[in-house]
Amino acid sequence: MPTSEYQGSSVPLSFLGRSILSFRRNQIISMEGTQEQELEELELFQKHVADRFTGLLSSRPSSDGIDNILSIAWLRKLLDTFLCCEAEFKAVLIHGHNPQIAKPPLNRLISEFLDRDVKALDICNAISNGVESIRQWQKSAEIAIFALGQKPLGEGQVRRAKKALNSLVASITSEDKESNGNTSTERAWSFGRRSGALIKERSSGHLRSLSPSVSRNWSASKQIQAMSGNLVAPRGGGESSGLASPVYVMSNVLVFVLWALVAAIPCQERGSLATHLPVPRQLAWAGPVIGLQERIAEEWKKKEKKGSAGLLEEIQRLERCGQSLIELADSFQFPPEAKWVAEMEVQVAELSENCRKIEEGLVPLQRQVREVFHRITKSRTEVLDILDQAGKPSTPVL
Amino acid sequence: MEPPEKVAVKLDAAEKLIRRWDSTASEEARERMIFDGDLHEADRYLQAIDEIQRSMDSATVSDNQSKVSSAIQIAMTRLEDEFRNILITHTTPLEIDPNSSIRSSSRTETSGEFDDDEYPEENRERKEEEQEQEEEGEGEGSSTSYQTTNSIREIDLIPSEAIYDLRSIAERMISSGYLRECIQVYGSVRKSAVDASFRGLGVEKLSIGDVQRLEWEALETKIRRWIRAAKVCVRILFASEKRLCERIFDGLGPAADDACFMETVKAPAIQLFNFAEAISISRRSPEKLFKILDLHDSLSDLLPDVDLVFGSKSSESVRVQAAEIVSRLAEAARGILSEFENAVQREPSKIPVPGGTIHPLTRYVMNYISLISNYKQTLMELIVSKPSTGSRYSGDPTAPDIELPEPENRSPLALHLIWIMVILQFNLEGKSKHYKDASLSHIFLMNNVHYIVEKVKGSPELREMIGDDYLRKLTRKFRQAATSYERSTWLRVLYCLRDEGLHVSGSFSSGVSKSALRERFKSFNSIFEEVHRTQATWLVPDTQLREELRISILEKLIPAYRSFLGRFRNHIESGKHPEMYIKYSVDDLETAVLDFFEGHPVSQHLRKRSQLRNELS
Repeated sequence: MPTSEYQGSSVPLSFLGRSILSFRRNQIISMEGTQEQELEELELFQKHVADRFTGLLSSRPSSDGIDNILSIAWLRKLLDTFLCCEAEFKAVLIHGHNPQIAKPPLNRLISEFLDRDVKALDICNAISNGVESIRQWQKSAEIAIFALGQKPLGEGQVRRAKKALNSLVASITSEDKESNGNTSTERAWSFGRRSGALIKERSSGHLRSLSPSVSRNWSASKQIQAMSGNLVAPRGGGESSGLASPVYVMSNVLVFVLWALVAAIPCQERGSLATHLPVPRQLAWAGPVIGLQERIAEEWKKKEKKGSAGLLEEIQRLERCGQSLIELADSFQFPPEAKWVAEMEVQVAELSENCRKIEEGLVPLQRQVREVFHRITKSRTEVLDILDQAGKPSTPVL
Repeated sequence: MEPPEKVAVKLDAAEKLIRRWDSTASEEARERMIFDGDLHEADRYLQAIDEIQRSMDSATVSDNQSKVSSAIQIAMTRLEDEFRNILITHTTPLEIDPNSSIRSSSRTETSGEFDDDEYPEENRERKEEEQEQEEEGEGEGSSTSYQTTNSIREIDLIPSEAIYDLRSIAERMISSGYLRECIQVYGSVRKSAVDASFRGLGVEKLSIGDVQRLEWEALETKIRRWIRAAKVCVRILFASEKRLCERIFDGLGPAADDACFMETVKAPAIQLFNFAEAISISRRSPEKLFKILDLHDSLSDLLPDVDLVFGSKSSESVRVQAAEIVSRLAEAARGILSEFENAVQREPSKIPVPGGTIHPLTRYVMNYISLISNYKQTLMELIVSKPSTGSRYSGDPTAPDIELPEPENRSPLALHLIWIMVILQFNLEGKSKHYKDASLSHIFLMNNVHYIVEKVKGSPELREMIGDDYLRKLTRKFRQAATSYERSTWLRVLYCLRDEGLHVSGSFSSGVSKSALRERFKSFNSIFEEVHRTQATWLVPDTQLREELRISILEKLIPAYRSFLGRFRNHIESGKHPEMYIKYSVDDLETAVLDFFEGHPVSQHLRKRSQLRNELS
């Protein structure tokens, strides 16, 4: 087939594959800027990273939940931080079209970096997907809120609320299990013609999360693992550890941010997410990042036993409020006692506030995730461009 | 106004009916579906609900408030299940049969045909599509064309009776305040249907990582398939889903139809576009250009329909993503072209092509450019900047400092193509220097530049873009190379046949120095033999050019030899062993020249062969 594209030419495409089209550099390109200037930039970059992440660390948990770690608002700040770091990193790396990145040993690091970029893009997509699940849950919660807000409150409303909440809680708790996703809807599907059996499916049928848009063996935790697996701190000292250092820092930032996102938001196969990332403690900028990691890891250990769908604070609250409202609803009698009503109203208010946060925060969060996607893509393209200009075919770069 | 007792009785009956169908309460209720059975049953049930709703609206009911709200809740739960059941029963995924039409279980309004097995090649495919667009309006019976999905066509995904039922149910649910539940049920079932249709259309679930890892050839096939699938998805599948939502939910609640539509298609749409996005960010390399352009064109073509189908505010992100992908693909195309130019400029192979024939680089580049001219329409729009003719790094010895032939009104695309040809030539000139034999390097250049010229002439679009001026310039170039070749080889040969130095003026013999003459003949013979042996292995692939070159050689060689022979043969023949010196007749030479540039070695001695020929003829 290729031959026909070239109208009778008998040249196989592979002849002019990249090996031929590579260019062996035999001239020395002088680096722009002095060594000193570069070192300064590097240090500044690392300092900024440290500063920004310290800022994230200091969101203290408080009762009114301002920017608790792993809340939607906090995630937004996290993404913002990432975007700032990324912008600075890019300036450092691509400053003056630095052709150093095409040469060893940097080119191997860059190649790994680009590989991480691709995985990051897939994770961004998975996160976007996961956000949709959250939206579904919010909607279920809103049914309950609406129902319980009716006055006067009748048994029907309470049952309705319970149904919605059961659905919600079931969906959240089963979200993470491998058996979820398509199977339930498929089961319902295959029973299509036998209407009777459908009734049994109804309680869990409609809150299935989106069917995965990637193949079933894609795993968020494996992606993160692969990304962090080859993170090796550059040996200190001169040579070209010049650029190796910011590459290492940025890689860690990238992996951490994605790790936090995957911990917080439901996405395909996150159950085996590692609870710690290999960041050496002695590096100055790493302190706050490690601090955050540890906090998140703690949460993870606490919650994961219950098989939760995501550490996102708002999800946790949905589940908690949902559960307690279900219990409350179980004790409903008509007409309800004032005490019962008061209790219900308090809980509904909490749930409602939670939903409001979700409503407000989800769209901007998604937009940010998409922005992260764009940035990574752009940087990747620019780096690839530089590599191509240098003409060297790097080791299999994606 | 009915008397309250009558109202109460009706209410009571309604309530009983609803409770009868409470599936948590009775086995029978679980086994059967109201809307599957008797029409009247369904009607009665709905009327019962209406009755209860009416009673809720009026202020009279206060004590059985709870009972009534409870009844409504039971009814709504029931309706939810009925709704789901009707949807599932009447939904089948879209089927695309390679040989026939797109259909779902119900009657379709239009048909589209796919021929999945025959994949026409690049150029033809584009022309076929254009042909289809022309034949579009000519009816479905035409056996030579197949209609592709070029515009929105909605088909009935669910039969009308079912739609009527669904709408009746939705009405009640929404007016009872159960809009959210309704949307949820609808969305979950229809979304599964869309997913199933996707599978049927061959829309795959590939991650970006997957796409980067695949071989480009495999991706080309997937892109082709994707383009066809995307057209069906946007123009038929999504459009039909939208219409279905409208038919069921229009006017029933604030933006209910839009909410249902989004529930159904938003995620699948994003999944669909993810593939195109993954392609648009893949690593750039020249062979990807044309498929990327195909993808760009088809997605660009789809955009207006995407905008139409996803017109609401809530679906903005889908429109935005589609537009982003189109512009990324455009960027990719530009980047690839630029990278191609770099690659041509830097192609470093130093191994000289044996026989001085056409270099694979030349073929590749010229074929590539010809293909580009086929995509002229799109590329004219996409390529807006002039090629960067300056070398990227100062002092780069590999950059030609040739100025682009100054364009009067040439489009940027044309400038790029000319530039590519300029750098190709520059590269070829560099390569020609690797030949040890100067004559061969001239032949090489001649062959390659000639090939370029022929390629341009062979493509009207290309010719138009390049312009005749430049073409003439190239023609002069290869003719010059031919001339250089002739000088380089034949001057030596003809030098043997010159007059000077042969005449000796002296007292004893006026005339010719026999020894010098003999030397001349010997030189001539040996040089000619060497040239013959060597240059027979050289290749000028183009028949006409080969002929012309030979004729040109003969035009110079034969008269000179004939005249030389004529003037001096007597002197040789009058001496000893004339055959050692006059080895060849004019005919022999003519025959020998026929061997030149054939590309294979001659093994037999010249004269023997011509003797053989004479004997045989």
